[in-house]
Amino acid sequence: MRPGAFPSRSRSARLTSQLGLALGATFAVCFLTGLLSHVIQHPPTWFRWPSRPVTLYPFTQGVHVATGLATVPLLGVKLWSVYPRLFTWPPFRSVTHAAERASVAVLVAAALFQVVSGILNVSRWYAPMPFYFPAGHYWVAWLVVGAMLVHIGVQLPAVRAALARTTTEADQDRLSRRNLLGTAGAAAALITLTTVGQTFRPLSGLAVLAPRLPDVGPQGVPVNTTAAGAAVVSLVTDPSYQLEVAGPGRRVSLDLAALNALPQHTAELPIACVEGWSASGLWTGIRLRDLVALVGADPERATVLVESLQAGGRYRATTVAPEHTRDPLTLVALRLGGEPLHLDHGYPARLIAPNRPGVLQTKWIGRITLLESR
Amino acid sequence: MRARGALVVAGILIMGYAAAGALTDPDLAPAGVLLFLAGVLIGHDIIVMPAVLAVGAVIARYVPSRRRPAVIAATVSAAALIFVALPLVLGFGRPADNPSALPSPYGRNLAVVLLVIAAGAAVPPLRRATGRKSFERPGDEAR
Ligand code: HEM
Repeated sequence: MRPGAFPSRSRSARLTSQLGLALGATFAVCFLTGLLSHVIQHPPTWFRWPSRPVTLYPFTQGVHVATGLATVPLLGVKLWSVYPRLFTWPPFRSVTHAAERASVAVLVAAALFQVVSGILNVSRWYAPMPFYFPAGHYWVAWLVVGAMLVHIGVQLPAVRAALARTTTEADQDRLSRRNLLGTAGAAAALITLTTVGQTFRPLSGLAVLAPRLPDVGPQGVPVNTTAAGAAVVSLVTDPSYQLEVAGPGRRVSLDLAALNALPQHTAELPIACVEGWSASGLWTGIRLRDLVALVGADPERATVLVESLQAGGRYRATTVAPEHTRDPLTLVALRLGGEPLHLDHGYPARLIAPNRPGVLQTKWIGRITLLESR
Repeated sequence: MRARGALVVAGILIMGYAAAGALTDPDLAPAGVLLFLAGVLIGHDIIVMPAVLAVGAVIARYVPSRRRPAVIAATVSAAALIFVALPLVLGFGRPADNPSALPSPYGRNLAVVLLVIAAGAAVPPLRRATGRKSFERPGDEAR
């Protein structure tokens, strides 16, 4: 590259290091909250997820998506600050140098992958992604974390030197570095301000660029999969609908009248989507623990399989662990806001439990099966 | 030195775990992931970044240096917001049967946000008039 090809004086090791620290923090937050979301959905045998506090999952997943979106300007400015190095000459000085550059390429690609795929996913635009999003996003999260550790290991002395107070920095350069850092921060703040209202109610009025609004949807609550999309409309509106509850010793079939005749309870619980939005609703229905007791099992220790009338789809069934089964807030809801559930909210009956991702709140329930006791 | 070596080794092991996991996950087509990794890397390095540099060159050429920090700040903010909001504006993810997904008029809303940013940048740099360097806090000189 000819000298002066990148004339900006704002680039400096110090700027790059400071942005690197910020990115280390945002990626760590995304990785930990994302990993949590993953193990809640695919629990290893050692993992127990509590049913309280009710809004913990909405919070952690809201933070995940908000932090990911706020990462955009930080990553953008950081990559700008090191772009001239892409044209390092000679491109490879040694095997180690080549390996190091390859690891940087992996880091940049994986970081961009996470941010871009995340944005596409919350915008529900799946077509540009030639892979199943949660699986790709999950494994590349490990990739980016590994590449980041290598990168930190390699760059540690440079970062230390750049951040040491003794570094000399011309006034002009300091000014433009500060301006750029402030700019990246301000842009991140603006992104947060215009989107976080999709889960943080007090700012919902500002959520002009949020993929969801917490009170827009049937009965004032957003929907992910519609009844038409799940191809269940004729099944759930069939007057002969019955909910089957199967215990180890007994099974009962309950039609709508029988369901409505059971003791009803009301709870205010959020639907908390993996996509980072959440919306609260006032749900009324039967406690899952009461249904468990109805078929003669111990609600304190029961693990329950809840199945939808959907014929297929990844989320047609969910397992409810004892922590959630026994919680009196866990309902087989028949109503939302006092009205029978809208078809898209899972009419005639859906699961709604505290502190659980929305994809696990099975709609259009057809069968509840007791699996085992713990 | 120890710490650096440990970081590098741990990082390599974790990358290996990622690769092995991706290859054995029945839900994942690794070729699709590789394609997307390459796509975002190349897209960034040969499309997005040159475009950013071109805009930067235009600003450096035509915007008086006194106004430059504000204009750069506005441009960076606008670019980041456009990056985040573009899929919403394009609206390919809006399902016909679900009005609760992507419910807002995103094109209009993005335009409003960009106008607010532009207005912010157009405000004359007040603090300079007081004789202090813009964006600097008192006490910085002491460092
Ligand atoms: C703009 C940035 C980002 C957005 C919008 C975003 C969005 C999402 C969404 C919607 C999910 C839920 C997937 C699902 O369960 O269906 C998710 C999961 C996850 N995210 Fe992100 N993400 C972003 C950045 C990141 C980053 C930087 C990392 C980490 C290094 C990360 C790591 C994860 C992990 C590990 C999961 C769990 C995946 C699973 O359940 O298998 N994300 N993210």
